[in-house]
Amino acid sequence: MQKLIKDGAIVDNTYSLVNDAEQVISENSIVPMQQWIENADTLGKVAGIWIDAGEGVEALENQDLSQLDVVAVNFPAFADGRGFSYGRLVRERLGFKGEVRAIGNFIPDQLGYLLRCGFSAFDFEQDVNLEKALELHKPFSVAYQGDVADPRPVFLRRG
Amino acid sequence: MYQYDAIDQQLVQERVAQFRDQTRRYLNNELSEQEFLPLRLQNGLYVQRYAPMLRVAIPYGMLSSAQLRTLADIGRRYDKGYGHFSTRQNLQFNWPTLESVPDILAELAEVEMHAVQTSGNCIRNTTTDQYAGVIADEIVDPRPYCELIRQWSTFHPEFAFLPRKFKIAVNATESADRAATQVHDIGLHIKKNDAGEIGFKVIVGGGLGRTPMVGVTISEFVPREDLLTYLDAIIRVYNQNGRRDNKYKARIKILVKALGIDAFRKLVDAEWEHLRGKESTVPMSEFERLQGFFTEPAYKALEEQPQSLTDKLANSAGFARWYERNTFSHKKAGYRIVTLTLKKNGQAPGDATSEQMDKAADLADKYSFGELRVSHEQNLVLADVQQDQLVELWEAAKESGFATPTLGLLTDMICCPGGDFCALANAKSIPIAKQIQDTFDDLDYLYDIGEVDLNISGCMNACGHHHVGNIGILGVDKKGEEFYQVSMGGASGHDASIGKILGPSFAQEEIGSVMKRIIDLYVDQRTEEERFIDTFRRIGIKPFKEAAYAKAN
Ligand code: HEM
Ligand code: SF4
Repeated sequence: MQKLIKDGAIVDNTYSLVNDAEQVISENSIVPMQQWIENADTLGKVAGIWIDAGEGVEALENQDLSQLDVVAVNFPAFADGRGFSYGRLVRERLGFKGEVRAIGNFIPDQLGYLLRCGFSAFDFEQDVNLEKALELHKPFSVAYQGDVADPRPVFLRRG
Repeated sequence: MYQYDAIDQQLVQERVAQFRDQTRRYLNNELSEQEFLPLRLQNGLYVQRYAPMLRVAIPYGMLSSAQLRTLADIGRRYDKGYGHFSTRQNLQFNWPTLESVPDILAELAEVEMHAVQTSGNCIRNTTTDQYAGVIADEIVDPRPYCELIRQWSTFHPEFAFLPRKFKIAVNATESADRAATQVHDIGLHIKKNDAGEIGFKVIVGGGLGRTPMVGVTISEFVPREDLLTYLDAIIRVYNQNGRRDNKYKARIKILVKALGIDAFRKLVDAEWEHLRGKESTVPMSEFERLQGFFTEPAYKALEEQPQSLTDKLANSAGFARWYERNTFSHKKAGYRIVTLTLKKNGQAPGDATSEQMDKAADLADKYSFGELRVSHEQNLVLADVQQDQLVELWEAAKESGFATPTLGLLTDMICCPGGDFCALANAKSIPIAKQIQDTFDDLDYLYDIGEVDLNISGCMNACGHHHVGNIGILGVDKKGEEFYQVSMGGASGHDASIGKILGPSFAQEEIGSVMKRIIDLYVDQRTEEERFIDTFRRIGIKPFKEAAYAKAN
C-alpha cells in the first residue's frame, strides 16, 4: 500500500482517491467536492472530499463537514499556490478539524508552508523519499505571521 | 535603522541552512532543475546569460556602512569586484558561482541581510522614498510601516506561490512620490484623517512589464492597525483568482482590470470581513516598538546656511552646481540630504565597484551617522549631512566618482542590465545609456534642459521602467538585430502615466541623434517655467514625432 506523511509520521494510505466517474465508491473513498455536494443523498458514507485548484471553498460553506474524515486539496503543479489559501480557509473559515491532506504535485520543500496553512497529511503524486521529506518538515522554528497552528503574529508573541 | 532581535536572526540563519541543503540536493541531482527553480528564485538567484545572478535584499533601501562594506567584500571575493543597485533598491551580483551562494548568504546573515524573496512569484522587497524620515513635509516616517510589511511578507506561508511576483511600495508625502507607488501591485500612501489617525490610501493593480498600468484606488483610508489584515485580504483574493494559465496575464493588474475595481473591491471587502479585528490587527505597542528603531540620530543644533556654505556657493560654480542638483533640503536646520550618484559616464547606471562601496561606507561613517539609502533612481543617499561639511564631502565624492552633478537630469538615467547580462534581453541597454551620456556631455546644456526622466529597458519586461520615463527607450529584436522603440510622456510620481510610443523603432546608432532632436524641439517650444514633461503634455506627441523622424537636414 502506498505511504504518506500524516501528523509527522510515515503511515499507510488507507483511503483511495476517486478521480473518474467509473470508479467504485466506498467508505474509504475521497471523492470530488462537487460530486459529493451534488449527490449527497445517494453517495452514502465516504472518507472525504477533494478540492481541485480553481474550485475555491465557497461551495462548502453550507455543508456539514464534520461527517468527513478528510478534506484533500489538489495541487495540479507545485507552483500553483491556490491550495495554500484553500487549506487555511478549510481550517480557519470552515472550522474543519479532521485531516487536511495535500494531494498532487506539491514538493517536499513546501511542507513547512503547507503545515502552517493547516495541512496535516501529504500524499505525494510523485515518487519522493518520505524520510527525506520528513526532515524538511519544519525548516523554521519561528515565524512572523500568525498561521493555523498559532494565529498570533510575532508581535503578539515577542516578549 | 531596524536591528534584528533573536527571532529575526534565527530566521535568516535557518534560511541559510535551508538554502544550503537545497543547493546541495540540486547539485546531487536530488532536486530537479524545475523544482530547484522556484526555490532558488525565492532566494534571489537567477541563472543568467553568463553566470548566476544573485539579488540581495536591501529592505526599503536602508543600509548601514557595515552592511555596505560586506557587500563590497562579497563583490570582491565572489564576483568581479562590483555590484548593481537596482530600481527596487536592491543589489545584484552578476558573477557568483551557484556553489558559492550558500556561503554568500551566510556572510550576509552576519550583518542582518539576506536574499529572501528578491525574486520569484512571492511578495518582494518593499520599497519607499529614499528621503524617508528626513524631509520636512512627510506625514510620518514610512519606514516603521515598511518594516512591519517586511516582517509580515517574509516567509508568509500562504503567499509564496502566487500567480506572479508581487511588489508593494510606500509613500508618505504629498509633495512627491519617489517610489513610483502607482506602478506597483500595491501602492500605499500614508495619510492622516481628520481625527489625526494614521492610515493608508491603498492603490492596487499598477505594474509595468508587457501590459503597463497605473494602479487604481481600492480604499481611500485603511486605518494602520488594519493594514496587515487588509493586505492579507487583497492577496488572498489574488492568490485564488489571479490567472495561472498565462504568465503574461498573471499579475494582479490583469485581475483588477478584468473584474473592474468595484467588483474586485467587493471580493476584498468580503474577505476582509473575516480577518478584520482578528489577531493580525497591529497593536499600538508594535507601532511604538518599530518607531523606536527609526528615531532621530544625535543631530547638533546648527545654523541653516552657514557662512562657509554661502561663500563656497558664490565662489565655486562646480560646487554650486552639485549643491543645486545633488543635495536636497533636510527637515533639520543646518543639515542637507546628499545623493552620491552612480551615473558617471563610462560606468553602467547603478553599478558600483567594491572600492566605491567601501568609499561610500566611509563617507557614511564620517558624514552621515553610518547609514545610507539606495534610491529607485539607482543612486546612493547620505541622508544626514551637516551643511558645514558639504564642501569636504563634495571633494571626497568627486574623487570616488560619486559627484556627477546631474541628479534628475537627462543623464541620470534608469537603465536595466540589458543584453550585456540578462538572458531575457532583446537588446543591449548599457551602450544606449553610454551613447546618450556622450551626446549630452555638456553640463551647461544639461542644466539648461532641466529635469527629464529617461528610462531604458532591454526588453518588454520593463525592469528599467521605460513606460514611466518622460522618455522611455525599449530594446526590441527585429530579425535578430537590436532596435530601439522610443516612448514619451510617461511619469512615475503622483502624476503617474504610461508613455506613448513614438513610432517605428530606431537603429542603435541613431538613438543619440534622435534624443538630440527631441530635446531640441523641447528647448525650442518650452515656456520659461516648463519642464520637459509639461511641454510634452501641452503640445502633445505629434511635434516630437515629426522631430524624431525628421531626416538629417
Ligand atoms: C538580469 C536579470 C533580470 C531578470 C531576468 C529580470 C526579469 C524580469 C521580468 C521577467 C520582469 C517582468 C515581470 C512581469 O511583468 O510579470 C521584470 C520586471 C521588472 N524588473 Fe527585472 N529582471 C532582471 C533584472 C532587473 C534589474 C537589474 C532591475 C532594476 C534595475 C529590475 C527591476 C524590475 C522592475 C522594476 C520590473 C517591473 C515591475 C513591474 O512590472 O511592475 N530587474 N524583471
Ligand atoms: S528589462 Fe528585460 S533585458 Fe532588462 S533586465 Fe529586465 S528582463 Fe533583462
